[in-house]
Amino acid sequence: MTIVQFAPFQSLVQPAFWHALTELKIDVLRLSDDEQPVTATYTAGRAVKDRETGQEIALGCNLTASGDAFSKTPQVPQNAVAATGVFKNFNTIEDFKNADKTALFNQVADEIWKSITVDKSTALLNRFLVITYADLKKYKYFYWFAFPAFAAKPAWEIDGEWLAAENALGAETLSSIQSQLHASPRPFFLVRTVENQTTIAPVEEYDTFFANVPPEDRVIGFVDPSALPTNPGWPLRNLLAYLLALHPETAQGVRILCLRDVEPPVAGSTGGWKSRFGILKQSGTGAATTERPAAVGWEKNIQGKLGARVADLAPMMDPTRLADQAVDLNLKLMRWRILPALDLEKVANTRCLLLGAGTLGCYVARTLMGWGVRTITFVDSARVSFSNPVRQPLFDFEDCLNGGKPKAACAAEKLKKIFPGVNASGHNLSIPMPGHPIPPASVEQAKKDVATLEKLVDEHDVVFLLMDSRESRWLPTVLGAAKGKIVLNAALGFDTFLVMRHGARTPGTDGKRLGCYYCNDIVAPTDSLTDRTLDQMCTVTRPGLASIAASTAVELLVSLLQHPAGIHTPAPPLSSAQSAADSGSSPPAYESILGLVPHQLRGFLAQFRNVPIVGAAYDRCTGCSETVVGAYEKDGFEMLLQAFNDTEFLPRLTGLDKLYEETQLALDGDDMVDADEDDF
Amino acid sequence: MLTRSDFDQACKAYVDAHRNARASGVKDYPAGWIWTEHPYVLNLGYLSRTRHLSGTPHPRTDVGEADDFNHPSVEEDDAVWHSTEESLTCNQYVVYSATFGVPAFYFTLHDRSGSPLALEQVVQSALFRPNTLPSPDGNTFAVTLPHSAFSLLSQGDHPTLGTPSWYLHPCNTAEVVGEIMAEVEEGRTNLLRCMEAWFMVLGNIVDLFAGE
Repeated sequence: MTIVQFAPFQSLVQPAFWHALTELKIDVLRLSDDEQPVTATYTAGRAVKDRETGQEIALGCNLTASGDAFSKTPQVPQNAVAATGVFKNFNTIEDFKNADKTALFNQVADEIWKSITVDKSTALLNRFLVITYADLKKYKYFYWFAFPAFAAKPAWEIDGEWLAAENALGAETLSSIQSQLHASPRPFFLVRTVENQTTIAPVEEYDTFFANVPPEDRVIGFVDPSALPTNPGWPLRNLLAYLLALHPETAQGVRILCLRDVEPPVAGSTGGWKSRFGILKQSGTGAATTERPAAVGWEKNIQGKLGARVADLAPMMDPTRLADQAVDLNLKLMRWRILPALDLEKVANTRCLLLGAGTLGCYVARTLMGWGVRTITFVDSARVSFSNPVRQPLFDFEDCLNGGKPKAACAAEKLKKIFPGVNASGHNLSIPMPGHPIPPASVEQAKKDVATLEKLVDEHDVVFLLMDSRESRWLPTVLGAAKGKIVLNAALGFDTFLVMRHGARTPGTDGKRLGCYYCNDIVAPTDSLTDRTLDQMCTVTRPGLASIAASTAVELLVSLLQHPAGIHTPAPPLSSAQSAADSGSSPPAYESILGLVPHQLRGFLAQFRNVPIVGAAYDRCTGCSETVVGAYEKDGFEMLLQAFNDTEFLPRLTGLDKLYEETQLALDGDDMVDADEDDF
Repeated sequence: MLTRSDFDQACKAYVDAHRNARASGVKDYPAGWIWTEHPYVLNLGYLSRTRHLSGTPHPRTDVGEADDFNHPSVEEDDAVWHSTEESLTCNQYVVYSATFGVPAFYFTLHDRSGSPLALEQVVQSALFRPNTLPSPDGNTFAVTLPHSAFSLLSQGDHPTLGTPSWYLHPCNTAEVVGEIMAEVEEGRTNLLRCMEAWFMVLGNIVDLFAGE
């Protein structure tokens, strides 16, 4: 005779179980590591066909823990039976590792034994233990199940072979058992057939139910979670222990039905009844014992070794990771659907420095995030004031209290709230400006501020000029030109805006060098009146204008990034701008895959019209001319200090008398000069 | 195109018609679906069922550093059979896509521990017919299905349960199901047939009999 080898329970944990544990831990247990009742279920074992080999594969002897495991009234699925257990959650991984597992295990085994010998009940035969440690920050759950089973010494053996129950008992009997179990499911049961009448009863009624039934007509059955032909499932072990303890004569031979049919087989289908039948014997002393046999049953891990398992639910639960994937998904959809050649990585990896965290800064940052840009740095010296939140979408009322939070840091913090995956930071910094002399006492501070700004420009690929004054754009214009960075400029009037990209220091692929903010001031294109309004740094502007201008600036950047020539992308010729966009097959050199990459756009909200403009670089420009950039590179802060302190320095340097007058004119509108005062 | 109430009726009709696998054993339409309504909100009902698929255990980090572990003392035991079989649990849902006016297939796939499978493993699982899905190629959250009624396998929240799921994007479904419906008896708008046609289309990609 061969030893019966039992298929151990295998825990099968639904994600909902971990959700329930998380809730239990946070809302109820908190720091308590008291034992809790827990419920799991199992049903008859099933086999599936492997699609490659076509062989039947037993699906394992599953004990399923689901979302209502901790509920007082757990739902048991149809055709399944419940098992109750002991759940213990440890607060630290060390506690989990160091726990006295043998003691915990023995405690459960003792309970089962007491239930058998004292209560003479089968209720706890499937009692199990599960210990956990929940790392809620990382959505990792360490766990270890144990299914204590009493090991018979000597082991149970099979008399003959395991048979198809259909052959041993007949389909009619099976059908009758199945329908009675369906009506009142129970994990263990007695079966007798008297005068062709098959009835089942609880195992506890052994003596009365089997009183006049000869041993060869007695059958003891259990819902068998195993689907292996010659290996009954784990619940049988404790059932046999129960029988041996209370009905020791069963050792001489007990007829066991492994019930594996939760519903009758479909007529005509192959296979028929799946249940198994066997006669088991145990060559023990045959004397009842009250001493608890040794118990086994710690579950092995994936490697087949004794040890805990771990569930990693981060991909499903970690909001940061979910957001990260979702952000990318929207963008990738755009690529898949519309623009297969779109280089999203290039956009995402572009580091953006936003000078100004006001209306324009807020909108630019949000649009950049929409494009998947991951590095966004703000520079601003102001604090959030009560007038800001309604127009500046990164701030709210709370931010204005107690004198207001520093805008740059606050904006960065808000970006992280919107999307934790963004690398956002803020610097509280005032940018020195020409025509604003620096008192000797403040020179050191100004030097530091300039150094900080220089470093920031170095560390980014794109500089956005989003300040509210004209002069504060000068220093970053020079730095951007000197360091070869992409500079995007946005400025607002009452109902007009300017969005432009600064030309590179060297000519574009068409041999022409595009101008900067200051070049184009001087070389006014067609409409000098329009030009002038832009320079008037209005504190009042139509509320929708900022988001239009900010979005335009970001989209201009993205179009530029998608052009192979990058910062050297030529501006589209004005005359052909319209027709080029419509015309067919081969895109001209000035088009990126997203279309034209204009040099400047001037928007007129009064007419709901945008006008593309091209302005060439001016060789006497105070911002980007070689004279100015060269002088900065040669003399550094000394040169800048002269520019800040002496209004005549730059005109003198570039030989521009006219510029002097213009600057003077601009500075006359005094209140628009102070960046701290208000933003548009 | 189905309206919300068409969808509800179609699903209920389908559940009734295909409660159990066909007696003949012919696997034509997937059975065992249950219709569930949202506990409080109307018009959020969906079909669901759970299937267990076989799978090979994939190497994963268990609690590795066993050295500093307080292991239980374990008795010798010959009467145990050892298995290394991994079982995958697949929860399947058919929900209504309000945007496209068609049913949409949502599912979750996780291993024994409850850990969700990575996209690479999802694509290779027995849930999908062999070689119908391209390799995600390092992408962790979606694959495109270029020449299919379903353009995209992607992640999204279950519309009723709000839990993270995988789903097949339904944007071309109406067209393909419509073509099939045009073939069936004319002049008879039959919601059950429509649902069956949809399952037929879905069955080209998803092995709806996996785990049976």
